[in-house]
Amino acid sequence: MNRETEEKLTSVSRREFFKKTASVSAVAATSVLVPSTVFADDENIMHHVKWGTTLGDEVNKNPYGVPSLYEHNVVRRTSPLMSSAGDMHAAISMTPLHEQKGIITPNGLHFTRTHNGVAHVDPNKFRLMIHGLVEKPIVLTLEQLKRYPSESRILVLECPSNSAAEWKGPQFGTLQMVKGMMACAEWTGVRLKTILDELGLKPEAKWMLAEGSDGSEMSRTVPIEKVLDDAMIVWGQNGEALRPEQGYPVRLMLPGWEANLCVKWLKRLEFGDKPWYAKEETSKYTALTASGKAIQHFYANEVNSIITSPCPEVPWTDLEKGDLVEIEGLAWSGHGTIKGVDISFDGGKNWVEANLKGLVLPKAWTRFSYMYKYEGKPLLLQSRSYDDSDNVQPTVNQEKAVVGVEGVYHRNAIITWKVTDMGEVSNVQIRS
Amino acid sequence: MFKLDRKLVTIGMTLALSTTLAVAAASAAAPGVYKSKSGAIDGGVTYPRENGNYTAYKYNTQSTKGVSFGRPATANEIKAWDIDALPDGTGLPEGEGSVELGDELYEAQCAVCHGDFGGGGQGYPQLAGGNQDKDENGIVKTLKNQRLEPGMDAPKRTIGTYWPVATTLFTYIRDSMPYAHPKSLTNDEVYAITAYLLAQNEIEIDGEEMDDEYVLNKEKLVKVVLPNRNGFYPNIDGPNAQEDIRAFFADRAKNIGAGTRCMKDCKDPGMDGKTEAKVMKIGYEMKDVMPPYAYAKDLPPETEGGSISKAEKMYDASCKLCHATDTMGAPAVGDANTWETVMKKGMDTVLVNAIKGMGGMPPKGGNMDLSDDDIKEIVEFMINSSKKH
Repeated sequence: MNRETEEKLTSVSRREFFKKTASVSAVAATSVLVPSTVFADDENIMHHVKWGTTLGDEVNKNPYGVPSLYEHNVVRRTSPLMSSAGDMHAAISMTPLHEQKGIITPNGLHFTRTHNGVAHVDPNKFRLMIHGLVEKPIVLTLEQLKRYPSESRILVLECPSNSAAEWKGPQFGTLQMVKGMMACAEWTGVRLKTILDELGLKPEAKWMLAEGSDGSEMSRTVPIEKVLDDAMIVWGQNGEALRPEQGYPVRLMLPGWEANLCVKWLKRLEFGDKPWYAKEETSKYTALTASGKAIQHFYANEVNSIITSPCPEVPWTDLEKGDLVEIEGLAWSGHGTIKGVDISFDGGKNWVEANLKGLVLPKAWTRFSYMYKYEGKPLLLQSRSYDDSDNVQPTVNQEKAVVGVEGVYHRNAIITWKVTDMGEVSNVQIRS
Repeated sequence: MFKLDRKLVTIGMTLALSTTLAVAAASAAAPGVYKSKSGAIDGGVTYPRENGNYTAYKYNTQSTKGVSFGRPATANEIKAWDIDALPDGTGLPEGEGSVELGDELYEAQCAVCHGDFGGGGQGYPQLAGGNQDKDENGIVKTLKNQRLEPGMDAPKRTIGTYWPVATTLFTYIRDSMPYAHPKSLTNDEVYAITAYLLAQNEIEIDGEEMDDEYVLNKEKLVKVVLPNRNGFYPNIDGPNAQEDIRAFFADRAKNIGAGTRCMKDCKDPGMDGKTEAKVMKIGYEMKDVMPPYAYAKDLPPETEGGSISKAEKMYDASCKLCHATDTMGAPAVGDANTWETVMKKGMDTVLVNAIKGMGGMPPKGGNMDLSDDDIKEIVEFMINSSKKH
């Protein structure tokens, strides 16, 4: 290809492509053969590519596989705002939701929150103690624990601080930082009830203390009803051992409840007749409301949703008027299963029903979709989910009216993406 | 939660409900089994869609009765690990410590993060301070602060204004502090620091002010009633606790806030019931993220050759927390001027200080596993990394 052709190629944008093919419908254009005179030939088609003319890597170059080098920007991100003085041992890093495909988060991208750094537990020295108000207190090695019959569930884990920076108004400009304190994975482990059935739980046992073995010795109090319902001790994450960031080798899993309650690097479960007032049930993980009182033992994450495409990172700036495009997003609820999602284009005045797609599982991410004809008009795009416990996602004002703006935790107000006539997307809020 | 939580699919985890679930997913199918028919293009079976679903979980319905692994925990093992404490004092160890000793310990080991007198700083939690005055309903007034406009006062969540019980303070410090080397304090020292922090929050025990000579022990700690003891809901204490919690979370519209599924011409009034909602844009965008925002599908920049040295690894693990920047008061690695001043003391003195500790720095940075030679290597690395170019 000569220089002139190359310049012509690079200067012809997709926008110009459509101008030149205006006689055919823009929607159908991609499937219409365009006369070769309109366009320069694509170098990537006209010439052999580098990877087709050289020997690739040996099959086992990476005994543990890694993503394509071209994906190096798809990573967790954090901010000094989510740490103390920029110290990243007690901090949080966020899942790149704009790159999330389907409903399973790759283990390397699972959001991570630690209170004293990521602990590295020696699995040979791991011990789990279960004691307190049980007839038979026991100690388990990891091998013994994994002898129990396992169960796998796809579950969303969400930090109750997700979106905490947005209570007083929009603050972050990206989907990743606005809503990335969550991830969804297939977790494998044993139901706690299966173990407890043989330990003889005493009738006066009303609470369970779950304690981690890391430097922060994270501990939380769990009501017995949840323990006997669907609580699990998990050691598997998307087909492999838990990542250290997720509590390797073992963490507690309380489906639908605050990720903070799902204690990592688990060490001890004690059953008692009173709640413990553990350290993360005091100044943290209690939600101060406008009344001056605070909600404690705030268990289940709320019904929630977010539009993931378009979003600030994946705008509509490449679209032409008339393009049919999918609006896509994630919905979830700690209370049960997503029943449906509505979408608004005018900031919440009028709504249409979106479609759910793929697996619709309790306490898991559920994908929603809406096919939309792009018209190049400014929009205020919102999604609103509802679940099978009859919870409906509130507006900013509806949530604010009850709990105020200082609660930090459990924010599930509707998120608004402002779409400009050029297709740019930004984070705004509809509020008074 | 509880009641609401136990909707269809949650209880689908149990045998009884697995029937219901399977029926919902594929009617007329056996429990936990999905209807399929033969004749798929791959020679397998096809799974028809019903009610918009292909499938859901198939539950294992076998009995797990009699499954038992592990061994009995010994009394000594339980004693070693069961050291938590309840608000009524159950589990608190013997021991005592004075406010005065607590002051010394706090200055040496805690103030670097939590600020002088617990006043906060560097972004680490503020432990003391804030107005504890209550309104006629017993609510700490300043906890009603709402930052609805820029410049308004925040509610302060300190031990004195916010925390419910004081036993938590003891277990928190003993198990998780000091931050960089937790579980290094004796019970007496923990009582002392607890005493100091309660004193800084002007807490009285049995009507007695906590002056410097005040000695705290288990019996006295249990008597502490923190000002915001009744500032939390739902009730989690007593025989009706779990019913109270259930009732609280059942009324989500009242207690947490709930949406409504309006579809047309919806109104979204503000807190006064009249003001119309408007679009609020980001005032000042928080763009300071790590790694920086980047979206290109390109090759990563070439990384510099060679792996990091042993000294740098040791520095990363044991020293960087305080020495990466000057916010902790330690000489920041890379700050040539500060290190020039440090080196005026001479290498020998610098080494002794690093090994024995000085100011807010514990001996060997808190990592006693490091040998004196390790410290020498680390200090040399820090000096070399802080030279003028």
